[in-house]
Amino acid sequence: MIDLVSKIITSSPLTTMAQSASTQVTVETTMKAIGRPGFILIDNNIDPDTKKYAAAKEFLYQATCLLLYATLVVPLFKEGAFKLGPKLFKEHAKDFAKFKNANDYYRYRKYAEKPFESDRKHNNKINHLFNKELQTELKTKEEPELFNRIKGTIEAGNILGSVLGLAILAPQVSHVIIHPCLRALGMENKKHKPQNKIDTKA
Amino acid sequence: MCDKLGANTKPTYPVILIAAVKGICRPTFTMMDKTEKPETKKYTALREGLTELIAIPTYLACGELAAHLSKKIKFKNVPEDVKKSLTKRAARNFMFIGVCVAALFVIPGLCSIAIKPIMDKLLPNNKPKSPAENLDPQLILHNPLLKKPDMSTFTGKRLVKPVYNTQIRPQLKVGGV
Repeated sequence: MIDLVSKIITSSPLTTMAQSASTQVTVETTMKAIGRPGFILIDNNIDPDTKKYAAAKEFLYQATCLLLYATLVVPLFKEGAFKLGPKLFKEHAKDFAKFKNANDYYRYRKYAEKPFESDRKHNNKINHLFNKELQTELKTKEEPELFNRIKGTIEAGNILGSVLGLAILAPQVSHVIIHPCLRALGMENKKHKPQNKIDTKA
Repeated sequence: MCDKLGANTKPTYPVILIAAVKGICRPTFTMMDKTEKPETKKYTALREGLTELIAIPTYLACGELAAHLSKKIKFKNVPEDVKKSLTKRAARNFMFIGVCVAALFVIPGLCSIAIKPIMDKLLPNNKPKSPAENLDPQLILHNPLLKKPDMSTFTGKRLVKPVYNTQIRPQLKVGGV
Protein backbone atom coordinates (compact mmCIF):
# COMPACT_ATOMS: atom_id res chain seq x y z
CA MET A 1 0.00 0.00 0.00
CA ILE A 2 2.79 2.43 0.95
CA ASP A 3 4.63 1.41 -2.23
CA LEU A 4 1.54 2.23 -4.28
CA VAL A 5 1.20 5.65 -2.63
CA SER A 6 4.87 6.44 -3.19
CA LYS A 7 4.58 5.27 -6.83
CA ILE A 8 1.58 7.55 -7.43
CA ILE A 9 3.07 10.49 -5.62
CA THR A 10 6.32 10.31 -7.61
CA SER A 11 4.67 9.49 -10.94
CA SER A 12 5.69 11.46 -14.00
CA PRO A 13 2.15 12.51 -15.15
CA LEU A 14 1.36 13.92 -11.70
CA THR A 15 4.64 15.86 -11.70
CA THR A 16 3.89 17.27 -15.17
CA MET A 17 0.45 18.36 -13.92
CA ALA A 18 1.78 19.77 -10.67
CA GLN A 19 4.49 21.77 -12.41
CA SER A 20 2.25 23.54 -14.92
CA ALA A 21 0.64 26.82 -13.84
CA SER A 22 -2.32 26.36 -16.20
CA THR A 23 -3.11 22.89 -14.79
CA GLN A 24 -2.67 24.16 -11.24
CA VAL A 25 -5.13 26.99 -11.79
CA THR A 26 -7.61 24.79 -13.70
CA VAL A 27 -7.64 22.12 -10.97
CA GLU A 28 -7.81 24.74 -8.20
CA THR A 29 -10.78 26.50 -9.87
CA THR A 30 -12.56 23.15 -10.33
CA MET A 31 -12.04 22.40 -6.63
CA LYS A 32 -13.44 25.82 -5.75
CA ALA A 33 -16.46 25.20 -7.99
CA ILE A 34 -17.19 22.04 -5.99
CA GLY A 35 -16.07 23.10 -2.51
CA ARG A 36 -17.54 26.58 -2.13
CA PRO A 37 -21.15 25.79 -3.21
CA GLY A 38 -20.94 22.53 -1.26
CA PHE A 39 -20.05 24.31 1.98
CA ILE A 40 -22.78 26.90 1.40
CA LEU A 41 -25.34 24.11 0.98
CA ILE A 42 -24.35 22.31 4.18
CA ASP A 43 -24.43 25.49 6.28
CA ASN A 44 -27.40 25.21 8.65
CA ASN A 45 -27.40 28.89 9.64
CA ILE A 46 -28.66 30.07 6.25
CA ASP A 47 -32.22 30.10 4.99
CA PRO A 48 -32.75 27.25 2.40
CA ASP A 49 -33.70 29.61 -0.46
CA THR A 50 -30.74 31.87 0.24
CA LYS A 51 -28.47 28.81 0.38
CA LYS A 52 -29.64 27.59 -3.03
CA TYR A 53 -29.27 31.04 -4.53
CA ALA A 54 -25.79 31.66 -3.07
CA ALA A 55 -24.56 28.17 -4.04
CA ALA A 56 -25.85 28.54 -7.61
CA LYS A 57 -24.29 31.99 -7.89
CA GLU A 58 -20.92 30.78 -6.60
CA PHE A 59 -20.97 27.73 -8.87
CA LEU A 60 -21.83 29.85 -11.91
CA TYR A 61 -19.05 32.30 -11.03
CA GLN A 62 -16.42 29.55 -10.77
CA ALA A 63 -17.73 27.86 -13.93
CA THR A 64 -17.44 31.15 -15.81
CA CYS A 65 -13.87 31.52 -14.52
CA LEU A 66 -13.01 28.02 -15.66
CA LEU A 67 -14.54 28.46 -19.11
CA LEU A 68 -12.90 31.81 -19.63
CA TYR A 69 -9.56 30.51 -18.43
CA ALA A 70 -9.57 27.39 -20.61
CA THR A 71 -10.80 29.07 -23.78
CA LEU A 72 -9.11 32.45 -23.68
CA VAL A 73 -6.35 32.81 -21.12
CA VAL A 74 -4.37 29.58 -21.55
CA PRO A 75 -4.03 29.58 -25.37
CA LEU A 76 -3.43 33.32 -25.58
CA PHE A 77 -0.86 33.77 -22.81
CA LYS A 78 0.94 30.44 -23.24
CA GLU A 79 1.70 31.03 -26.92
CA GLY A 80 2.08 34.76 -26.36
CA ALA A 81 4.80 34.24 -23.77
CA PHE A 82 6.58 31.70 -26.01
CA LYS A 83 6.62 34.17 -28.90
CA LEU A 84 7.70 37.06 -26.67
CA GLY A 85 10.48 34.99 -25.05
CA PRO A 86 13.19 35.39 -27.77
CA LYS A 87 12.63 39.16 -27.78
CA LEU A 88 12.93 39.42 -24.01
CA PHE A 89 15.90 37.07 -23.62
CA LYS A 90 18.03 37.62 -26.69
CA GLU A 91 20.88 35.43 -25.40
CA HIS A 92 18.42 32.49 -25.28
CA ALA A 93 16.77 33.20 -28.67
CA LYS A 94 18.59 30.18 -30.17
CA ASP A 95 16.98 27.88 -27.60
CA PHE A 96 13.52 29.20 -28.36
CA ALA A 97 14.13 28.67 -32.09
CA LYS A 98 14.61 24.92 -31.53
CA PHE A 99 10.87 24.52 -30.83
CA LYS A 100 7.88 25.23 -33.07
CA ASN A 101 5.59 26.36 -30.27
CA ALA A 102 4.95 26.05 -26.52
CA ASN A 103 3.30 22.63 -26.88
CA ASP A 104 6.32 21.36 -28.82
CA TYR A 105 8.56 22.46 -25.95
CA TYR A 106 6.37 20.69 -23.35
CA ARG A 107 6.45 17.53 -25.47
CA TYR A 108 10.25 17.66 -25.44
CA ARG A 109 10.36 18.26 -21.69
CA LYS A 110 8.04 15.32 -21.09
CA TYR A 111 10.50 13.01 -22.88
CA ALA A 112 13.50 14.65 -21.22
CA GLU A 113 12.11 13.81 -17.78
CA LYS A 114 11.58 10.13 -18.67
CA PRO A 115 14.18 7.47 -17.75
CA PHE A 116 17.00 7.25 -20.30
CA GLU A 117 17.48 3.51 -20.69
CA SER A 118 13.87 2.40 -20.87
CA ASP A 119 12.04 5.31 -22.50
CA ARG A 120 14.49 7.37 -24.55
CA LYS A 121 17.54 5.47 -25.77
CA HIS A 122 15.78 3.37 -28.42
CA ASN A 123 12.55 5.30 -28.80
CA ASN A 124 11.81 5.84 -32.51
CA LYS A 125 8.94 8.24 -31.76
CA ILE A 126 11.53 10.86 -30.86
CA ASN A 127 12.86 10.81 -34.46
CA HIS A 128 9.49 11.91 -35.84
CA LEU A 129 8.78 14.56 -33.21
CA PHE A 130 11.98 16.62 -32.87
CA ASN A 131 14.83 18.00 -34.95
CA LYS A 132 18.28 16.37 -35.11
CA GLU A 133 19.76 18.45 -32.30
CA LEU A 134 16.97 17.63 -29.86
CA GLN A 135 16.98 13.98 -30.93
CA THR A 136 20.67 13.71 -30.01
CA GLU A 137 20.00 15.44 -26.73
CA LEU A 138 17.24 13.00 -25.80
CA LYS A 139 18.81 9.82 -27.16
CA THR A 140 22.39 10.21 -25.99
CA LYS A 141 22.33 12.09 -22.70
CA GLU A 142 21.11 10.70 -19.44
CA GLU A 143 20.26 14.19 -18.24
CA PRO A 144 19.31 16.22 -21.31
CA GLU A 145 19.03 20.00 -21.31
CA LEU A 146 15.65 21.06 -19.89
CA PHE A 147 15.68 24.67 -21.11
CA ASN A 148 14.31 26.01 -17.83
CA ARG A 149 14.35 29.57 -19.17
CA ILE A 150 11.78 28.62 -21.83
CA LYS A 151 9.55 26.90 -19.28
CA GLY A 152 9.91 29.82 -16.87
CA THR A 153 8.89 32.29 -19.59
CA ILE A 154 5.82 30.25 -20.54
CA GLU A 155 4.83 29.77 -16.88
CA ALA A 156 5.29 33.47 -16.12
CA GLY A 157 2.98 34.23 -19.05
CA ASN A 158 0.49 31.68 -17.74
CA ILE A 159 0.56 33.19 -14.25
CA LEU A 160 0.12 36.70 -15.62
CA GLY A 161 -2.77 35.49 -17.77
CA SER A 162 -4.34 33.70 -14.80
CA VAL A 163 -4.22 36.83 -12.67
CA LEU A 164 -5.59 39.08 -15.42
CA GLY A 165 -8.19 36.55 -16.50
CA LEU A 166 -9.44 35.35 -13.14
CA ALA A 167 -9.08 38.42 -10.96
CA ILE A 168 -9.95 41.20 -13.41
CA LEU A 169 -11.75 39.83 -16.48
CA ALA A 170 -13.81 37.02 -14.92
CA PRO A 171 -15.71 39.20 -12.37
CA GLN A 172 -16.80 41.52 -15.21
CA VAL A 173 -17.84 38.69 -17.53
CA SER A 174 -19.57 36.77 -14.76
CA HIS A 175 -21.54 39.89 -13.79
CA VAL A 176 -23.04 39.88 -17.29
CA ILE A 177 -23.61 36.11 -17.46
CA ILE A 178 -24.67 35.11 -13.93
CA HIS A 179 -27.87 37.14 -13.53
CA PRO A 180 -29.53 35.98 -16.79
CA CYS A 181 -28.54 32.40 -15.89
CA LEU A 182 -30.06 32.73 -12.41
CA ARG A 183 -33.21 34.20 -13.95
CA ALA A 184 -33.39 31.31 -16.40
CA LEU A 185 -33.09 28.91 -13.47
CA GLY A 186 -35.97 30.72 -11.75
CA MET A 187 -33.81 31.85 -8.83
CA GLU A 188 -33.97 35.57 -9.49
CA ASN A 189 -36.78 37.93 -10.56
CA LYS A 190 -36.20 40.50 -13.28
CA LYS A 191 -37.50 43.29 -11.06
CA HIS A 192 -39.89 43.44 -8.15
CA LYS A 193 -42.83 44.75 -10.12
CA PRO A 194 -46.12 45.28 -8.27
CA GLN A 195 -48.38 42.41 -9.16
CA ASN A 196 -51.64 44.26 -9.39
CA LYS A 197 -52.87 42.67 -12.57
CA ILE A 198 -55.90 40.49 -12.04
CA ASP A 199 -55.86 37.19 -13.77
CA THR A 200 -59.22 37.17 -15.45
CA LYS A 201 -58.72 33.77 -17.07
CA ALA A 202 -58.70 31.91 -13.79
CA MET B 1 13.38 34.66 -12.03
CA CYS B 2 12.31 32.76 -15.15
CA ASP B 3 15.03 30.14 -14.61
CA LYS B 4 13.84 29.57 -11.05
CA LEU B 5 10.21 29.44 -12.13
CA GLY B 6 11.10 27.02 -14.91
CA ALA B 7 13.02 24.71 -12.57
CA ASN B 8 10.23 24.63 -10.00
CA THR B 9 6.80 26.11 -10.67
CA LYS B 10 5.35 25.94 -7.17
CA PRO B 11 1.55 25.57 -7.19
CA THR B 12 1.34 28.19 -4.46
CA TYR B 13 2.68 30.96 -6.75
CA PRO B 14 -0.30 31.36 -9.12
CA VAL B 15 -3.02 30.65 -6.54
CA ILE B 16 -1.65 33.16 -4.02
CA LEU B 17 -1.15 35.80 -6.69
CA ILE B 18 -4.69 35.28 -8.00
CA ALA B 19 -6.13 35.44 -4.47
CA ALA B 20 -4.20 38.65 -3.72
CA VAL B 21 -5.33 40.46 -6.88
CA LYS B 22 -8.87 39.09 -6.47
CA GLY B 23 -8.92 40.32 -2.89
CA ILE B 24 -8.32 43.84 -4.18
CA CYS B 25 -10.25 43.83 -7.46
CA ARG B 26 -13.43 41.92 -6.59
CA PRO B 27 -14.44 44.20 -3.68
CA THR B 28 -13.53 47.26 -5.82
CA PHE B 29 -15.82 46.08 -8.62
CA THR B 30 -18.58 45.35 -6.12
CA MET B 31 -18.30 48.85 -4.66
CA MET B 32 -18.46 50.32 -8.17
CA ASP B 33 -21.77 48.58 -8.92
CA LYS B 34 -24.43 51.28 -9.08
CA THR B 35 -27.42 48.96 -9.09
CA GLU B 36 -26.89 47.66 -5.54
CA LYS B 37 -27.74 49.39 -2.27
CA PRO B 38 -24.71 50.90 -0.43
CA GLU B 39 -25.21 48.65 2.62
CA THR B 40 -25.37 45.50 0.49
CA LYS B 41 -22.32 46.61 -1.50
CA LYS B 42 -20.31 47.22 1.68
CA TYR B 43 -21.30 43.84 3.12
CA THR B 44 -20.57 41.92 -0.10
CA ALA B 45 -17.26 43.70 -0.71
CA LEU B 46 -16.05 43.05 2.82
CA ARG B 47 -17.10 39.41 2.57
CA GLU B 48 -15.25 38.94 -0.72
CA GLY B 49 -12.14 40.65 0.64
CA LEU B 50 -12.16 38.51 3.79
CA THR B 51 -12.55 35.30 1.76
CA GLU B 52 -9.38 36.04 -0.21
CA LEU B 53 -7.59 37.22 2.93
CA ILE B 54 -8.28 33.85 4.53
CA ALA B 55 -7.33 32.04 1.31
CA ILE B 56 -3.77 33.44 1.00
CA PRO B 57 -2.23 32.08 4.25
CA THR B 58 -4.28 28.89 3.96
CA TYR B 59 -2.86 28.08 0.51
CA LEU B 60 0.64 28.77 1.75
CA ALA B 61 0.24 26.72 4.94
CA CYS B 62 -1.48 23.75 3.27
CA GLY B 63 1.06 23.68 0.43
CA GLU B 64 4.08 23.80 2.70
CA LEU B 65 2.64 21.33 5.23
CA ALA B 66 1.79 18.87 2.49
CA ALA B 67 5.28 19.22 0.99
CA HIS B 68 6.73 18.17 4.36
CA LEU B 69 4.89 14.85 4.05
CA SER B 70 7.37 13.82 1.36
CA LYS B 71 9.96 13.25 4.10
CA LYS B 72 7.77 10.51 5.56
CA ILE B 73 7.87 8.43 2.39
CA LYS B 74 10.51 5.74 2.50
CA PHE B 75 11.85 4.40 -0.76
CA LYS B 76 13.13 0.86 -0.58
CA ASN B 77 15.99 -0.54 -2.69
CA VAL B 78 16.67 2.80 -4.36
CA PRO B 79 20.12 4.41 -4.70
CA GLU B 80 20.75 7.55 -2.67
CA ASP B 81 20.82 10.01 -5.61
CA VAL B 82 17.57 8.61 -7.06
CA LYS B 83 16.04 8.76 -3.59
CA LYS B 84 16.89 12.45 -3.39
CA SER B 85 15.29 13.26 -6.72
CA LEU B 86 12.20 11.17 -5.89
CA THR B 87 11.78 12.97 -2.55
CA LYS B 88 12.03 16.30 -4.38
CA ARG B 89 9.43 15.19 -6.89
CA ALA B 90 7.16 13.90 -4.12
CA ALA B 91 7.43 17.26 -2.29
CA ARG B 92 6.30 19.15 -5.40
CA ASN B 93 3.39 16.77 -5.99
CA PHE B 94 2.35 16.84 -2.33
CA MET B 95 2.35 20.64 -2.47
CA PHE B 96 -0.02 20.51 -5.44
CA ILE B 97 -2.31 18.11 -3.56
CA GLY B 98 -2.14 20.40 -0.50
CA VAL B 99 -3.27 23.38 -2.58
CA CYS B 100 -6.14 21.33 -4.04
CA VAL B 101 -7.25 20.21 -0.56
CA ALA B 102 -7.11 23.83 0.60
CA ALA B 103 -9.34 24.94 -2.29
CA LEU B 104 -11.78 22.05 -1.86
CA PHE B 105 -12.15 21.77 1.93
CA VAL B 106 -10.00 24.03 4.10
CA ILE B 107 -10.77 27.49 2.68
CA PRO B 108 -14.57 27.03 2.26
CA GLY B 109 -14.69 25.42 5.71
CA LEU B 110 -12.69 28.20 7.36
CA CYS B 111 -14.76 30.84 5.58
CA SER B 112 -18.05 29.34 6.72
CA ILE B 113 -16.77 29.22 10.31
CA ALA B 114 -14.87 32.52 10.54
CA ILE B 115 -16.51 35.01 8.19
CA LYS B 116 -19.90 35.35 9.93
CA PRO B 117 -18.51 36.27 13.39
CA ILE B 118 -15.97 38.65 11.81
CA MET B 119 -18.68 40.31 9.72
CA ASP B 120 -20.95 40.65 12.74
CA LYS B 121 -18.12 42.38 14.62
CA LEU B 122 -17.09 44.66 11.76
CA LEU B 123 -20.58 45.55 10.60
CA PRO B 124 -22.88 45.00 13.61
CA ASN B 125 -25.80 46.96 12.10
CA ASN B 126 -25.49 45.51 8.67
CA LYS B 127 -26.56 41.89 9.02
CA PRO B 128 -28.10 40.43 5.87
CA LYS B 129 -31.86 40.46 5.98
CA SER B 130 -33.99 37.38 5.64
CA PRO B 131 -35.74 36.98 2.26
CA ALA B 132 -39.05 38.09 3.81
CA GLU B 133 -37.45 41.31 5.07
CA ASN B 134 -35.89 41.93 1.69
CA LEU B 135 -39.30 42.15 -0.04
CA ASP B 136 -40.15 45.43 -1.66
CA PRO B 137 -42.90 47.26 0.35
CA GLN B 138 -44.56 48.16 -2.96
CA LEU B 139 -44.76 44.52 -3.83
CA ILE B 140 -46.46 43.72 -0.53
CA LEU B 141 -48.88 46.63 -0.94
CA HIS B 142 -50.03 45.66 -4.42
CA ASN B 143 -49.85 41.91 -4.21
CA PRO B 144 -53.34 40.49 -3.65
CA LEU B 145 -51.78 37.30 -2.24
CA LEU B 146 -50.07 39.26 0.54
CA LYS B 147 -52.96 41.65 1.31
CA LYS B 148 -54.68 41.53 4.68
CA PRO B 149 -58.33 40.43 4.47
CA ASP B 150 -60.78 43.27 4.02
CA MET B 151 -62.75 43.65 7.29
CA SER B 152 -65.15 46.35 6.05
CA THR B 153 -68.02 43.86 5.93
CA PHE B 154 -68.08 43.80 9.73
CA THR B 155 -68.98 47.50 10.12
CA GLY B 156 -72.63 46.52 10.13
CA LYS B 157 -74.18 49.27 8.01
CA ARG B 158 -72.71 48.40 4.65
CA LEU B 159 -74.24 45.86 2.37
CA VAL B 160 -72.56 42.54 2.76
CA LYS B 161 -71.24 41.60 -0.62
CA PRO B 162 -69.37 38.34 -0.97
CA VAL B 163 -66.08 38.69 -2.81
CA TYR B 164 -64.52 35.69 -4.50
CA ASN B 165 -60.90 36.27 -5.10
CA THR B 166 -60.20 33.72 -7.77
CA GLN B 167 -56.62 34.91 -8.17
CA ILE B 168 -55.47 33.49 -4.89
CA ARG B 169 -55.31 29.92 -6.08
CA PRO B 170 -55.91 29.93 -9.83
CA GLN B 171 -55.51 26.18 -10.14
CA LEU B 172 -58.67 25.57 -8.10
CA LYS B 173 -61.67 26.35 -10.28
CA VAL B 174 -65.34 26.10 -9.42
CA GLY B 175 -66.54 22.65 -10.31
CA GLY B 176 -63.34 20.83 -9.62
CA VAL B 177 -60.92 20.13 -12.43
